[in-house]
Amino acid sequence: MTTASLLQFLFSGLMVGAIYALVALGLNVVFNATGAVNFAQGEFSMLGGMLGAALLSAAGLPLVVVFVVTVAAVTAVGVLMERLVIRPVRHADVFNLIIVTIGASILIKGGVMVSLGKNAAGLPAFTGERPFRILGATFVPQALWILGVAAAIVLALHLFFDRTLLGRAMRAVATDREAARLVGIDVRRVVMLSFALSAAVGAIGGLIVTPVTLTIYDAGTMLGLKGFAAAVTGGLGNTFGGIAGGLVLGLLETFGGGLIGSEFKDVAAFLLLLLLLFLRPRGLFARGQSERV
Amino acid sequence: MLTRRQFTTTMGGAIAAGLLAPGAVRAQGAPIKLGSIFSYTGPAAFLGDRMKRSVELFVEEANKKGGLNGRRIELTLYDAGSESTKAVLAAKRLIEQDGVEAIVGDGNRSDIGLALVPSVQRAEVPLMSVSGATALVEPVKERAWVFKSTVNDVEVVARLLDFFKKRGIKDVAMLNDTGAFGVSARDQLKAQAPAAGVSVIYEEFGPGDNDLTTQLTRIRSSNAKAIVCWTVTPAGVVFLKNAQQLGLKQMLVHGFGFVADRYMQLAGDAAEGLMLTSLKFPVAEQLPDRDPIKATILDYKARYRARHGEETDVYGGQAWDGIGMVAQAITRANSSERGKIRAGLEEHVREYKGVGGVFTFTPQRHWGLAKSDVVMIEWRQGKFRLVDL
Repeated sequence: MTTASLLQFLFSGLMVGAIYALVALGLNVVFNATGAVNFAQGEFSMLGGMLGAALLSAAGLPLVVVFVVTVAAVTAVGVLMERLVIRPVRHADVFNLIIVTIGASILIKGGVMVSLGKNAAGLPAFTGERPFRILGATFVPQALWILGVAAAIVLALHLFFDRTLLGRAMRAVATDREAARLVGIDVRRVVMLSFALSAAVGAIGGLIVTPVTLTIYDAGTMLGLKGFAAAVTGGLGNTFGGIAGGLVLGLLETFGGGLIGSEFKDVAAFLLLLLLLFLRPRGLFARGQSERV
Repeated sequence: MLTRRQFTTTMGGAIAAGLLAPGAVRAQGAPIKLGSIFSYTGPAAFLGDRMKRSVELFVEEANKKGGLNGRRIELTLYDAGSESTKAVLAAKRLIEQDGVEAIVGDGNRSDIGLALVPSVQRAEVPLMSVSGATALVEPVKERAWVFKSTVNDVEVVARLLDFFKKRGIKDVAMLNDTGAFGVSARDQLKAQAPAAGVSVIYEEFGPGDNDLTTQLTRIRSSNAKAIVCWTVTPAGVVFLKNAQQLGLKQMLVHGFGFVADRYMQLAGDAAEGLMLTSLKFPVAEQLPDRDPIKATILDYKARYRARHGEETDVYGGQAWDGIGMVAQAITRANSSERGKIRAGLEEHVREYKGVGGVFTFTPQRHWGLAKSDVVMIEWRQGKFRLVDL
């Protein structure tokens, strides 16, 4: 393998990893507030991409406007989902909640299929498509957007959960719902906010990723699963873990596929992931005191 | 079994004739029951939509003209939802509950079609497949009831190898998706390339993959002069964009599952100069007038446009041919009995001018098309152009 090839695997792995990380970050937000995994998280990203593409081609609005409108709309979908399907079963245990999110994901997927169609959709790259070239390896400008936005979201979420009262309230709700209520936290508002936040993160992710990967109404499922794997790798609920898990997964895929052969790409990645989880069952960045039962 | 079926059908018809308006029924005869299974939801839906509409259009027009030999066609449609299990259940319902005489459409994806084969073989119901994998109709001994209204990938791969020979290309990379369509083509290439003197390196990707630069980087460090991508999924667009990003100079080729304007537009200038193996359909207007199927294609396109108000595509044409040939078998055999339709397809589909090509079925050959029905086309300046007839 030449240096150029190895460097290419690195670039590609970081970009693919950041895509997974963006989903993992959204998953963690809901997990932090409800203790449940939201399997509709991938659909938020798909919805962001599909809606953005539809708005751009139908209304011909500037990209910035499309971006804002799309994020607002998907956030509204997140809030609606919480109100209509999550809140009615809020007293059920975590497993039921997870099943409900799977139902919601099927609903969103079906809704997009019927309303926006079954064709793949794309968005123009934000700052052109002329690739950067370093030592024979290349990456597109959009990859920088993806990595940059992922980093910005991580930072924002970290500050939110660690420094703001609302963020701490969210974590308190996840740890012990009753205790949180006793100290005066409005649990319902916190849960709704977590869905709004994760939907917004998902939509942003979908919008910046679609110029590179395209999107289609059923793209959310696979994205959700990979994001879940990334979140588990980094330790569910851990913001930095989410991005680290995503990058690890992305790099495992490209180096596994690149060095051994593409037919072993997923095998290599998931084998190493399994190994990692045997050694560190609560993820790379598990914190001792944040144990959940 | 068959005699009982016949008995019930005739008796049923006779009773109906006696009880209901007798004149009308006598003039019409009992309807011919046909079934269709396409995927108009799920990932394969972008193919299945136009297939479904094409079959509906055919039945509508045939019935308007008085049906087949004076008998109306009664079509029952099921959505396979791009899932094999749903398709198998649909086939079961069509055969046992709806009592159809033949099924046109196999869920329009190779893996779904393959899942249907045991059901129709067991029940002895003719199935007209519209998917690419060769295993759908081979070995013919175990596929006696399955026919195919599109080309086999055996022929497409053979055609592609001829083209490489013409252009003097001896080193090729194959990049297929891990679905049945991609894997089947890879197997064909593995079988045929050595004899054609072409050496191939093989890479693959998952249909939902976001990035193929890893595979392309491996290919870049080989001495492949052409890269063949085989998929029907949007990942084929990512392939084109990644190849452009890496600045690859090799000839890029897509298989016959990617001939869609929409995919080309999504890839933008990354698709410029892309070669594709295809049936003649997308370049019908550019065919010489003496071409045997030029008029057939243009006629089908116009009829579809008039009825549905949108353009059809080569895949809709496969379904159009499928039901057209079943109808011809029924008309010529003058029977809609399952066994007669099967025999009719083998005996009476000779030099049938479809929109996919000129079909000839024989007892040994249940795919009607030949290598000569496959052409090489190129995407240039917003249009598919005929390169090699």
